[in-house]
Amino acid sequence: MSKREPVSNDTTGGRGYSRRAMLAGSAGLTVATSGCVRQVRTVVNRDDVEQLSLTITTLPADGDRESIQLAREVAAVLEAAGIDVSIEMRSNEEFLRAVLINHDFDLCVGQHPGGTDPDFLYEALHSLYADESGWQNPFGFANLRVDDLLEEQRRTDGDDREAAVEELLEEVVREQPFVPICVPEEHRMVRTDRFDGWEDGHPATRLGYLGLEPSEGTDRLRAVHVDARPSQNINPLTAEYRDHDPFVDLLYDSLATERDGDLEPWLAESWAYEDGVLEVQLREGCRFHDDEPLDADDVEFTYELLRDTELEEGESPSPPPQYRGPAGIVEDVERRDDHELELEVDAGEAVAERALTVPILPEHIWDDRATPATVPGVRVAGGTTEAVTTDNVPPIGSGPFRFGSRTERAHLTLERYDDHFTLRNDVDLPGPTVGELRIQIDPRSTSAIELVSTDSADVTSSILETYVLDDIEEADDTAMLESPSWTFYHLGFNARRAPFGNPRFRRAVAGLIDKAWLAEDVFHGYAEPTATPVADEWTPDDLVWDGEDPVTPFLGGDGDLDVDAAREAFEDAGFRYDGETLRVRR
Amino acid sequence: MIPEGTILTEVLTQLVVVVTIALLLSIGLFVGRERLVETTAAWRSRFRASAPAIGVLLVVLLLNRVVRWRGDQISSAVGGIHMTETFYRFEGEFILLFQSIATDELTMYFSAIYIYGYTFMLVFPVVAYFALSDSRIFRRLLTAYSLNYLLGLSLYLLVIAYGPRNVMPEVLEVTMLYDNSPQYQHLTREVNRPTNVFPSLHTSLAAIVAMFAYTTRSSYPKWFPVAVVLAISVAISTMYLGIHWAIDVVAGLALAAICVVLSDHLVGRWSLTELYESARHRLEERRRNGE
Repeated sequence: MSKREPVSNDTTGGRGYSRRAMLAGSAGLTVATSGCVRQVRTVVNRDDVEQLSLTITTLPADGDRESIQLAREVAAVLEAAGIDVSIEMRSNEEFLRAVLINHDFDLCVGQHPGGTDPDFLYEALHSLYADESGWQNPFGFANLRVDDLLEEQRRTDGDDREAAVEELLEEVVREQPFVPICVPEEHRMVRTDRFDGWEDGHPATRLGYLGLEPSEGTDRLRAVHVDARPSQNINPLTAEYRDHDPFVDLLYDSLATERDGDLEPWLAESWAYEDGVLEVQLREGCRFHDDEPLDADDVEFTYELLRDTELEEGESPSPPPQYRGPAGIVEDVERRDDHELELEVDAGEAVAERALTVPILPEHIWDDRATPATVPGVRVAGGTTEAVTTDNVPPIGSGPFRFGSRTERAHLTLERYDDHFTLRNDVDLPGPTVGELRIQIDPRSTSAIELVSTDSADVTSSILETYVLDDIEEADDTAMLESPSWTFYHLGFNARRAPFGNPRFRRAVAGLIDKAWLAEDVFHGYAEPTATPVADEWTPDDLVWDGEDPVTPFLGGDGDLDVDAAREAFEDAGFRYDGETLRVRR
Repeated sequence: MIPEGTILTEVLTQLVVVVTIALLLSIGLFVGRERLVETTAAWRSRFRASAPAIGVLLVVLLLNRVVRWRGDQISSAVGGIHMTETFYRFEGEFILLFQSIATDELTMYFSAIYIYGYTFMLVFPVVAYFALSDSRIFRRLLTAYSLNYLLGLSLYLLVIAYGPRNVMPEVLEVTMLYDNSPQYQHLTREVNRPTNVFPSLHTSLAAIVAMFAYTTRSSYPKWFPVAVVLAISVAISTMYLGIHWAIDVVAGLALAAICVVLSDHLVGRWSLTELYESARHRLEERRRNGE
């Protein structure tokens, strides 16, 4: 805690208060004796200049071992540059609530969900989303040029789009709305004696758990997850409880599913794009887990709910904190018949398909949830609906697995949904091959590994923390699985608060961060330092990491900051020093 | 209340077995046959005399359970203060002192102390003091336990802080309890949240037991040195294993002293029988006056 809230420029903030009070007191005397009221007022009413103090919000080691270490390293270099820094730790859901929902942070350090396609930046940075909650622009970043480029890459295809993305990335790294630090490697441990086919799907997506080939007599897939949140809340729309886990995708179907960055038909049998319209053909005969039919009405409803969780009943739209990027592509949905829809989209073909990745929710259940919500003990902002706050237990979807049971912080157990379309003879898609998928919650990577080694689990569905990787012993019936990663660690700025809205300040901060050293030291080498927040194939040549950051190179070497250079960087950015400390006007 | 989970059951069974064996041994060693025989004869009256203290403790333990589970919600409602940064700034890396002496044997010793030694330390005095003919010390012990939980829990709600293991995981890697023996986290997360740090209730309860051992050293001369060694070990283990800050341990010691002193003032102050008598008396008088 302590000195924070750099935005509050009134008299309630710590040291500023006492000095101003003193000034005011002596001012009273002066007035009484001389009567030079105007002159005194010009002196007293000037805002104080004092040391910049800020708070870095992050997770404790229980939530994310690497984030707290990164935060402490960032704090150390900022302190060296004369800034007063304190670190505030929040548990997983409180962290996301503070950063995504309430925007109550100065700087934050954590994992960004990222995306396989650069269009995720539309959600992450478009100024239209600056006032919404969720992963849509939590930074409050607003830049018209970036907005234009985000829209351009959405509307174009092929080479044009590539050029637009390149220009966009150049602009983003120039502005540094957040500092991408590194891309962690994703390692998981699996049992190869019980299941084959682990490499066929990404284990952070539904495909990682479908189409597996069980050995003779195996009818149960046992995952071990270190994050307890999936056992506490299974609502696809609750941002605080959703992370890099595949379980919502196993319970809910989307129209298309992603494989290696490309989209394949899933609940939609096919689709065609023409002139801003996606014509979608749904599979026939699909049902939700409660045996209610799934048809075009549910799809239409889903996109409406993702636009406004009050379904236009409220005074103004209440968008959900999840899926805004993909759902925002869709401008209008027109239902042709029970299994045919037209989605009017504001995007070229490449991005338009991204709209098909949202989970399809049953109208007969979610319709009632489109009402304002109350949660005891938690500050609920206006326009927050039941749809966003419910824990959604039991979840009723249409996915390959249905809800079985759960015990909070102990397990979530799913059962095969026998009516799922992937189990039909005429459908050639990977389906559920086991009767039960049990996700056991175990708090640490070390014990998760032990469970797999001792044949008590088949896969660590969470990404293993990097500090345990060196100690894993090879064995015949287990294997390590490395999967491509699109999440990245970042330092986020809350541009709503001064001076973090100033790109020069952000660039100066970016120069203090030795990404290569952090990747080596904090991640034990199991991470790649990065200058851009997108996958390698989208990174333009001049933004590729080549031993150092091509845009904001580290001011120092091997983890040691050149303090003089750092000060100079801040001075060049228009900030002042008084002795050792960086001063700002409050 | 206990969720399914084989690891948890295993750890719990192990704990029960170890503590039971330690209890049987130490009852034989410190309490002695004579006192046991005496106790079997007099347990009814002693129990009756101590019923209020037992009742209060049970209520407090129940409250403890609820608060520790719903603590985050209550904390945000009463406006708990985040203090991790303050503690870290205040004492810095003091507890890393213990890292410099770390060996595998010490890590094993302190892990065992933290889990088994502590549990044994809590239970044994309850048995030992029940075996004393004067039930006052028994009632005082239970009252001190109750106070300890009440005050400790209030502080947990007011002060939200993470322990060293959550702040500097990389330097505590070698000794950190849950990395070396992850199975214990199944146990501790049943009773605690990671922000229940200030004060160290491990330390305070152990210190309470040691202080009582001092008071009763004439009855149990051999228990006193054992209790002191155990209490010191428990206090150090919380820092060695990266669970508590030194400031939490100091606060735990202060809390223990407060509880012991308060228990002396509170116990015997009100007698339920007297209260009942005087109430009846007053009622009768009022009735007489009314007539």
